[in-house]
Amino acid sequence: MSDSQLVDWRNHALNLESEVNQVVVGQHGPIRLITTAIFARGHVLLEGDVGVGKTTLLRAFTRGIGGGYQRIEGTIDLMPNDLVYHTYLGEDGKPHVSPGPLLMSGENLSVFFFNEINRARPQVHSLLLRVMAERSLSAFNAEHYFPHMIVFADRNQVEKEETFEIPSAARDRFMMEIPIVVPNDDDIMQALVFDTKFHNVDALVETVKPDILQFDELNAFSSIIQNNIEASDTLKRYALNLWKATKNPLDYGVKVSGVDMNRLVLAGASPRGMSMMLRAARVNAWLNGRTAVLPDDIHAVFHATIAHRLVFSPVYEMRRTEIAREMLTGIINAVAAP
Amino acid sequence: MLQRLILTFLLSCVAPYCLALDSQTLPDVKAGIVHMTTKDPDKRVGYSIGDIVEREVILTIKAPYKLIETSLPIVGYEKRYRGKPIGVDLQAIAHSKQEYKDYTTHKIKLNYQIFVSTVVAKNIALGPEYLNLINTQDKKDIVKYRIPILNVSTSPLAIFGQVKVENNMSPFLPPPLLSAEKEYVRLKIALGILTLSLLALVYIVGQRAWLPRMGGRFATAYRAIKKLPDDDAGIKQAISNLHLAFNQTAGIAIFNDNLEDFLKQHPDFLPLKTEIQQFFGLSRQIYFEPDAVHGAGDAPMPWLLHFVRRCRDCERGLLPSPVMGGV
Repeated sequence: MSDSQLVDWRNHALNLESEVNQVVVGQHGPIRLITTAIFARGHVLLEGDVGVGKTTLLRAFTRGIGGGYQRIEGTIDLMPNDLVYHTYLGEDGKPHVSPGPLLMSGENLSVFFFNEINRARPQVHSLLLRVMAERSLSAFNAEHYFPHMIVFADRNQVEKEETFEIPSAARDRFMMEIPIVVPNDDDIMQALVFDTKFHNVDALVETVKPDILQFDELNAFSSIIQNNIEASDTLKRYALNLWKATKNPLDYGVKVSGVDMNRLVLAGASPRGMSMMLRAARVNAWLNGRTAVLPDDIHAVFHATIAHRLVFSPVYEMRRTEIAREMLTGIINAVAAP
Repeated sequence: MLQRLILTFLLSCVAPYCLALDSQTLPDVKAGIVHMTTKDPDKRVGYSIGDIVEREVILTIKAPYKLIETSLPIVGYEKRYRGKPIGVDLQAIAHSKQEYKDYTTHKIKLNYQIFVSTVVAKNIALGPEYLNLINTQDKKDIVKYRIPILNVSTSPLAIFGQVKVENNMSPFLPPPLLSAEKEYVRLKIALGILTLSLLALVYIVGQRAWLPRMGGRFATAYRAIKKLPDDDAGIKQAISNLHLAFNQTAGIAIFNDNLEDFLKQHPDFLPLKTEIQQFFGLSRQIYFEPDAVHGAGDAPMPWLLHFVRRCRDCERGLLPSPVMGGV
């Protein structure tokens, strides 16, 4: 693929971002990260309160990239088979079986949104994680493939009752965890409340130009990005130092206020996590019109790709978001390149 | 030579006669003929039986007078006062002379030994000694010269009865002092080491700089970059040194994405904002992205050297020097 094609795709990607930014206002950071995840072909964990626009955001993206969009709500009685099929009594009085959300769009499934994933049981997590890892599912004596699927899962960090925390091994399958917070700009807040165009989500999503990207070409193009965006030796050393710092932050002089750093980290970032970070950094470099990854590209995705992978001592888990943010900021400040 | 032989002959003739003379009955030598200096011991008190007192007498005798050497004090002669021995013997005598055309110099070293033990401190006189001189031009002209006495005090070996120390203290001399020369040398060495240590301490406390502003991050980087060669490795090292200076100045690692924060916190560097951005562009090209474009010119090393000097000026709170033409 020529450089001009890379530029063309970049223009499409920026166009998609622009379209979504008009629908979901005040979320430039998360929108850039989701765009990055789409082109890096990584699954995303969304973190945020209810009603902040997560669903709208995903529907807007799905409309822009095309393909099928499916959504399921996590509940305590949700079972794995509920993702695959559901049964009902038809008008003829006979039992019928219909495809569940995973199978409904077939291979054209491009976005699967699992709302409040931490309300579902570990069995459901298990199935979903297999689908995320292998993008395939065995059901009805057949193997079903979802080559273009990206999973977006949401978890409510505030409510902890009747929830099942996602284990670290499961969190590690997600490329990013993106916080979605209410914009604090007064004009945006006022528009969200008083501008009637934000009241009808269906109509709002319809305003996004459809099929800006071709969902079934994203996998191939993602490989091209990864192969064309260079990473210098200096950058590799820098990434390696960042990785080591997530394991032994004290070695790099990183401290978090009110935390015993000797006890804080049980496990740093995983090799899979670091490779996902670099995939995302390459996409970020491409989105910024660069031919090689810079430390700035890593910084742009560092929190989103690493924070949820860190395993802390249980005593610090309740403050995980705050501690992870401070620790990772400390690491970026402490590790120099070159 | 002939004169010397005649003089020797004359002296040998008069010597027995001289010995027979009583020196004290001879007339005194005229003033100005003999000049005498003595080297007396510092210690004048506290002698006891067996002690030796050394005295050196240097006589300068003008011609035509010569010393009759047989008149020198005789070893073993017991000193007497009014016929009674006073307990002082001449234990040894050393005599040397140096003859010149107009005068002769005699060095006479006299060792007196104390042979008296008293129960209280007591003065004792060493001498006087009488020397005879002969006029070599008139052999009948024989005169005497008196070496004055030397007073010292003897002390008892043991104190008997109650003694008031104050009464026994000598008013003449302080107690002899110990030699402190070695201690002075040691003191000087210690002061030297102390001075060097203080200088080293100042150097260390001053962050390895002799002058207050010499140890700045960019000043250090400037000195290091000046020594680097103008090749790829040198340019890489220079950029690395500059990054280190930025990081140390900010206290955190500085990248493009937090450059604005750095400038807000260090407004002294604001005049160099464009050049700092160019530097980061150059760093990006050298270390990360060979195709990257920067505005640092085609000769990176001179540009870096000038840039670090301007950064050093900013660091010192000075207005940076204007941009050099052609760099």
